[in-house]
Amino acid sequence: METTIFYIISAIILVFSVLTVTTTKILRAAVYLLFTLVATAAFYFMMEYNFLAAVQLTVYAGGIVVLIIFSILLTHQINLDLKKINSIKKITSGLVSLFGFILIGNIIYTHTFKATSSVIADTSVNEIGRTLLNYGDGGYILPFEVISVLLLAAMIGAIIIAKKK
Amino acid sequence: MDITNFLIMKQELLLTLITLFILVSEIFVSDKRRIIPIAIVLFGIHTLFGFLYNSYGSIFGGMYQNSELVNLMKNILNLGVFIVLLQSSTWLLKEENENKISEFFILTFSTLIGMNFMISSGDFLMFYLGLELATIPMAALVAYNTYDKKSSESGLKLIMSAAFSSAVMLFGISLIYGQFGTLYFSELLSADMTSPLLILAFLMFISGLSFKISLVPFHFWTADVYEGAPTNVTSYLSVISKGAAVFIFNILLFTVFRNIVDVWSDVLYVLAILTMTIGNLFAIRQTNIKRFLAFSSVAQAGFILLGLLGTNELGMATVIYFILIYIFSNLAAFGVVSSIENNSGKLNIEDYNGLYHTNPNMSLLMMLSLFSLAGIPPLAGFFGKFFLFTAAAQNGYYWLIFIAVINATISLYYYLIVVKAMFINKNDSPIEKISNNWYMKTSYIICLIGLIVIGFYSDIFEYINQISIGI
Repeated sequence: METTIFYIISAIILVFSVLTVTTTKILRAAVYLLFTLVATAAFYFMMEYNFLAAVQLTVYAGGIVVLIIFSILLTHQINLDLKKINSIKKITSGLVSLFGFILIGNIIYTHTFKATSSVIADTSVNEIGRTLLNYGDGGYILPFEVISVLLLAAMIGAIIIAKKK
Repeated sequence: MDITNFLIMKQELLLTLITLFILVSEIFVSDKRRIIPIAIVLFGIHTLFGFLYNSYGSIFGGMYQNSELVNLMKNILNLGVFIVLLQSSTWLLKEENENKISEFFILTFSTLIGMNFMISSGDFLMFYLGLELATIPMAALVAYNTYDKKSSESGLKLIMSAAFSSAVMLFGISLIYGQFGTLYFSELLSADMTSPLLILAFLMFISGLSFKISLVPFHFWTADVYEGAPTNVTSYLSVISKGAAVFIFNILLFTVFRNIVDVWSDVLYVLAILTMTIGNLFAIRQTNIKRFLAFSSVAQAGFILLGLLGTNELGMATVIYFILIYIFSNLAAFGVVSSIENNSGKLNIEDYNGLYHTNPNMSLLMMLSLFSLAGIPPLAGFFGKFFLFTAAAQNGYYWLIFIAVINATISLYYYLIVVKAMFINKNDSPIEKISNNWYMKTSYIICLIGLIVIGFYSDIFEYINQISIGI
């Protein structure tokens, strides 16, 4: 049962990811992306990462896709048809991707991963919160703070690009 | 955690404070132009502090580490950024940029914070975050000239190709994590990395970093972005950003990937030959001085790989030493180019014809910096290249050195083209006499001192070599 669901979700992610990058309508691309993100959240639910799944749904599916659609609407690009790519480019990039896929797939398939014996980590919200703000071993307070600098810088960067003069 | 532990990461903390200070002072300062001296003085103090009150160790469970060597790398970057800030004053004082002066400093300092965190990282998570912090605001800096279509275009090019290379690198990191279940460098030190999967992971990782250092064949973004970006941002990209990436590359190869030295020396061997040769061949063809310097910096990166192929402490020391020299040489050249661009708008090598008759001092400085880049004794660049070759010779890479020497000769040819244009070629309407402001003059003097002194004052190399042993 679980394996079947896994394959169904994977198929959804794969199909919609490909559609996202191949469609010529920009709004459709955003909607296909939404499906991909929702299906990823389904993965997290399957692995019982409930908090991560909720974050995935609210932040990515709820927030980011809405932002993307907003910016498409605001810039009046909704009817924009992207240019069709010529077939030589299509064939060469297809061949390169196929080669990469076979190479990486083959290496991963033949590799024997060690099964871990350690206990599955506690993924309750309590524990996540504690790890996120822990400064000791295995804590994530430093990345957490550095991301805030990154967000501030990205915001200022967006401002100077948008500034008229 | 003891509060004095924060002294270990004082460089990043101080920089963050300065950034926030500038952010707030923008509200209170009525004349935005006054932010330039404030920022430069504050950063000067920060640069000085980098040499004082140092303490080393690792905090945050090993996610952040600082050692004498890492601190030296940060100091080298600080020096370079200080020169870049001095040189960008003319450009910032232009009318069209008046309204966004403080943003330039905030973004520059943010990227520097990112580079510092990247060099100091103790695990792949912090490394990746630092890398992104050094890249995303950089795209905004590249697109800073919003009135210039080329600038916006190159900003977009940078962020798209950076996102792609980050994705490849993350795939590699995720494979390493999948195998060992840890991201900490210290726990990966003794890890067995010889299986095909991990070599694939390493190759993906190296591709991502090569993009940052713009090694061939990951260099396609370089010329376009360097040409479109404002010249001072270009110098920042080509010197500081590249230097930081080389530093962390250096550290990672000698720590985490130490066990697969046979693999990575083969990879670097091929990359070095490709980078030197293709960078040089393209540099000859350029007529735009910024594109010319872009390809010359690609070729220089190829020489840096020679030092890494030394695969020991000496190799590491030569690379750091070379970056120190490279900062002064390249920034001197970019300083002259930016000064000419901001005063006359000219960017073609042809426009430099007869520059010596109108601007003798700038021509002389440009000549010295180009000679240093080419590696002509007695300038510092000669010693830098010489030590890199020595490091590679230790491991018997004689053919590689032979190719490198040929490439150094080719590079001398195209550097001499510019020198010839400035000194020998006649021009009926040469660039008029440019009077530089004090910031610019100071930066020239610092570069000049660096170009001459670093080569002769051997204690610098001795010191770097001595502290490299600890890594």
